[in-house]
Amino acid sequence: MNDQWTDRLSEYVDGELARGERAALEAHLAACADCRATLEELRKVVARAKALEDRPPGVDLWPGIDARLTPGRRPAGSPLGRPGVSRDATPPRLPWRVSFSAPQLIAASVALMLLAGGGVWLALHGRRTTPPVQEATRPPAPAQVQNAGWRSGIDAAVAQLEHALEKSQGRLDTSTVRVVRQNLAVIDKAIGEAQRALKADPGNAYLNLHLADTMRRKIELLRRANALAAAQS
Amino acid sequence: MADAEAADTALAASGDGSAFERLYRTHVARVHSLVRRMLDADEADDLTQDVFVRAWQKLGTFRGESAFGTWLHRLAVNVVLARRKTLGVERGRFHGGEDPLAGMPGPRETPEMSLDFEEALARLPDGARQVFVLHDVAGYRHEEIARMLGVVPGTSKSQLHHARMALRRHLDR
Repeated sequence: MNDQWTDRLSEYVDGELARGERAALEAHLAACADCRATLEELRKVVARAKALEDRPPGVDLWPGIDARLTPGRRPAGSPLGRPGVSRDATPPRLPWRVSFSAPQLIAASVALMLLAGGGVWLALHGRRTTPPVQEATRPPAPAQVQNAGWRSGIDAAVAQLEHALEKSQGRLDTSTVRVVRQNLAVIDKAIGEAQRALKADPGNAYLNLHLADTMRRKIELLRRANALAAAQS
Repeated sequence: MADAEAADTALAASGDGSAFERLYRTHVARVHSLVRRMLDADEADDLTQDVFVRAWQKLGTFRGESAFGTWLHRLAVNVVLARRKTLGVERGRFHGGEDPLAGMPGPRETPEMSLDFEEALARLPDGARQVFVLHDVAGYRHEEIARMLGVVPGTSKSQLHHARMALRRHLDR
């Protein structure tokens, strides 16, 4: 079976024939059992392709990827060793999804104030000749940080987490809530300073990086506070 | 879910490896399956790693105009096509009624020896295989595929039809 219409059957299945051709093919199909059978099989092939299930690799590929992101900078088993995290100037971070104590939060807030204040001061006082310490493999930040799409994504995440915390903070003790609020205030201040500095110097790579990093810290703090509240329920 | 992924994408772009690992966990099956179907099962693990390393390096160019998964999938296609060029894989094409799976038992003849649909797909000539995966599995349009492969849309349509015709006999398993 191979007539002049056979090669057009896929286009017919995909709805890509012009009206006149479609009408002519349909007239042919009415009289040609072979083409009708082929058409049905082609439709099944298309359906089968759409139903193919994605399968993960047989082994976990993440360790190999992780190693290529920050080669040689990762203490084994340490959460600090995660790519993009092991920055020399960054204080130790808490393990992911682990609750934290008030003293730890206080220590983090102090470190953050120093970092935020110092970073912005450097950017505002003409120290741009000294490039910021970055990992070689770290994705370039300035372009996307300036992008409204990123900002809106981060803002939406922050709003969602803040809303969740508003509802769940009753499960936290007063001192923890106070420390969380103090940290958020410090972070918001740092964000505000970075945003004001960026208005004066939108192309400043360090400021863009600093803003993205500070926003990331805010999301992480909110996430951890929510996790702590959830753990108390 | 979409908000969480958007947040993770933003975090990863700012250098957060934990967020990037979550993105990896979400998308690795889709990327690995694409690579396996378009290239070769033996290369799928290595190429999948390459895709994610490349994604990490290029996150700064992601502008959020599409979902991260869409962007990643397109990046994976580009990595696979570049790999094929590097390997010098000849772009196989059908000619004049040739059946690339001729001689291979189909499900209806000898079920115990028949090819699995995915195995049959892997045996298609390269050109037909790429077009079939990109169009029928991944959902790209002929115009997009033609641009990716450097052919005219008519060639993409022709390759797709021949791939479908060849795969008809391997439907039932």
